Amino acid sequence: MNIPRVGIIGIGQSHFKARRQDKNYPELVREAVTLAMNDCKLSFDDIEAVVYSLAPDALLGIGNAERLGVDAVGARNKRFMRINTGGSTGISSVAAAHSHIASGVCDVVLAAGADKVGECGDSQTILNKIWDPIYERPLPLGTITMLAMSAVRYAYKYGMTEEDMARIVVKSRNAAVLNPYAHLRTPTTIDDVMKSRMISWPIKLFDCCPQSTGGCAMVLASEDYIRKNKLEAVWITGVGHSTESYYIGDRMGIGYAADHADAHALSEAVQRAYKMAGITDPIKQIDVAEMYSPFSNTEFHAIEAAGLAKLGESPALLKEGYFTHDGPRPVNPSGGVLCANAIAVTAMVRVAEAALQVWGRADAHQVKNAKRAVASGNGGDHQFFGAVVVES
Amino acid sequence: MQEKRQLGVIGSSVFAPRDHHSVSLEEAMFTVTKAALCDAGISIDDIDGIVVASCDQMDGRAISIMAASGSVGGVGRDILSTPSSGEHAFVLASLRVKSGIYQTHLVVSWSPLETDSVNEVQRLSNDPYFHRALPLDDLASHALQANVLESRIPGLHAAAVEVTRTNREHGHMAYPDQSAHPSESVWIDGGKMLRYPISEGMVSKPAFAAVAIVIASEAWIKAHQPSHVAWVHGMGWATETAFLGDRDLSQLPSLVAAGEQAFAQAECKVSDIDLAEVADATPYQQLLSLEALGFCPRAHWVQATQAGEFGKQGRLPVNLSGGALSFNPVFCSGLMRIMEAANQVRGKAGVHQQVKVKKALAHGSSGFAMQYNTVVIFGDKVQGLLA
Repeated sequence: MNIPRVGIIGIGQSHFKARRQDKNYPELVREAVTLAMNDCKLSFDDIEAVVYSLAPDALLGIGNAERLGVDAVGARNKRFMRINTGGSTGISSVAAAHSHIASGVCDVVLAAGADKVGECGDSQTILNKIWDPIYERPLPLGTITMLAMSAVRYAYKYGMTEEDMARIVVKSRNAAVLNPYAHLRTPTTIDDVMKSRMISWPIKLFDCCPQSTGGCAMVLASEDYIRKNKLEAVWITGVGHSTESYYIGDRMGIGYAADHADAHALSEAVQRAYKMAGITDPIKQIDVAEMYSPFSNTEFHAIEAAGLAKLGESPALLKEGYFTHDGPRPVNPSGGVLCANAIAVTAMVRVAEAALQVWGRADAHQVKNAKRAVASGNGGDHQFFGAVVVES
Repeated sequence: MQEKRQLGVIGSSVFAPRDHHSVSLEEAMFTVTKAALCDAGISIDDIDGIVVASCDQMDGRAISIMAASGSVGGVGRDILSTPSSGEHAFVLASLRVKSGIYQTHLVVSWSPLETDSVNEVQRLSNDPYFHRALPLDDLASHALQANVLESRIPGLHAAAVEVTRTNREHGHMAYPDQSAHPSESVWIDGGKMLRYPISEGMVSKPAFAAVAIVIASEAWIKAHQPSHVAWVHGMGWATETAFLGDRDLSQLPSLVAAGEQAFAQAECKVSDIDLAEVADATPYQQLLSLEALGFCPRAHWVQATQAGEFGKQGRLPVNLSGGALSFNPVFCSGLMRIMEAANQVRGKAGVHQQVKVKKALAHGSSGFAMQYNTVVIFGDKVQGLLA
């Protein structure tokens, strides 16, 4: 399979916060786009297509809100489409932009979006509406309760404790202190996490991601274009997606289709990306991972799905410091989703952070000698998964 | 830019039960997927990836793609979703196959009618500060375009009636069960005024449907030899700005751009096209589309429609399926146009099959006053490497 290489040449992201009353929605998108365009030093005339990253419209209260962003991303009379796969939207958008270029149809493509989750009221009320209206919506399902059930199952299968979950939070917050774009940048302790308010057992307040506001944009280009214009780039060498069932009930009970403790479809997505990138031994070949984990417990199965630990072994390895910023298998040196979650672009930020790491541009949270990174995104009811491998 | 790989449509299906309350959305998705795979002569195991287009507001679900997981065979598969339009799903699937990462793709879109008011759903797409207070839905935006065109082109109203009549005649032949709207001029021009100058007879009611298309790479097609293939020779897609006040509603520069992209890729001229399926939410949109695509300048609209140039025996048969003026599954109407044009080239259009269709053009449009425009050109032969 001879697939043309696609490079990342520009990155822009907001300083994520709970609210951004200084900018309306299109202005927030524009902020990220401007940063990315300045980063690659191209003009809008150079952009041939735009992939717009926007998750559920209901979070903004505007149907097909991408239409309002057309001018903000400079797409008038250009190729333009929106992607929505829930929380994985950002990484799906990068994958779609990659297809624009790998297909040979475009040389330079912008992927961009923004979200105002922190200004939507209660995202969980909206996210209850992702389930089918007959069978599962009447349950008190939200993304927190859904993944609390996964945590209980993971704890049962592999012996994870609430302190193990808290240890993920402490690691993430310590990392986010060094990342100026993160929303939650205050360090915390296991004790503080354990004392925080119970949301849905065993997930407590500090185990949850924040509701963030901000944008992200990336400029991708073909290898020919990059060489011809002598641009600096890092390379997307692997892309993969996979999907679980819609119904949560299909992941538990007797005869389940998939075990809700694990993330088998994420594992499939990662394996597809690894196969494309030629990665056979991720522990040796992956230098850093930016894995989508909006609740502390989900980072364990994300680490395992990425092949950085065997099933059920990641809590013990975490305790030994394996996944910290300066550990042997760094995971989420940006602080990850636990420290900023503007849903429409959160998974794009994972790719952006992975790219900054292998580019050597992650500043204070730079992982030493990072040359190859994996990023992931989760969407729907822990259903859609995407993975991207980025190399210097 | 070098085009590296070719692809073709190898299967398709539309599912439009008369009583849509008799099937759930998931049953519709399953049925249409199974039928498209059957048409292609393959099973879901042969599908590498899926692109779905759905609209959260029409479905009444946030992240409405989620429902597609099982019913279109998505579990364990690579699915992406675009809610901007059904036709964008076709474009994205084609790009993915062209990339060489995938050999086959399934494209699925649907347009349910569960919402109390499609118009209110459409109004939610207005920005909350300036436009939402206006009674602005898709039809009102189309009426604004119609108004500006009527003010500039004498005799246009009669031409619009004739376009509707022609499409309805096509629709009665193509889909007699679905196309129940009048084809007599007096009824088309009469009836309740919905949004001036568009009367009830000039549009068709929103309908329920699901559409599925199967595409495959040139290498896959050569290896498996499916019986009927429409090769994708060219694609173009582009967007207008959202704010109507920033636009000249009598023009469609985005469709001009999309058409130029598609014709350049296809390396053909307007005169090479044997047949077209174009967006026709109202007859005014069809005429505007034909101009922007280079088929008929506005100065000739009245004359061309009266001369029957867009009828089955005309210079350029347009919307032999009857178009959206006969059957309008709102959100997947654009994907239907693509399916219909592909099927004409495949020789599988059914009773409305035109003879000797070597090249066909499909155009889909979505959003207020045709904000998004997508053009696909199909051919009956593989194009090979483009220069």
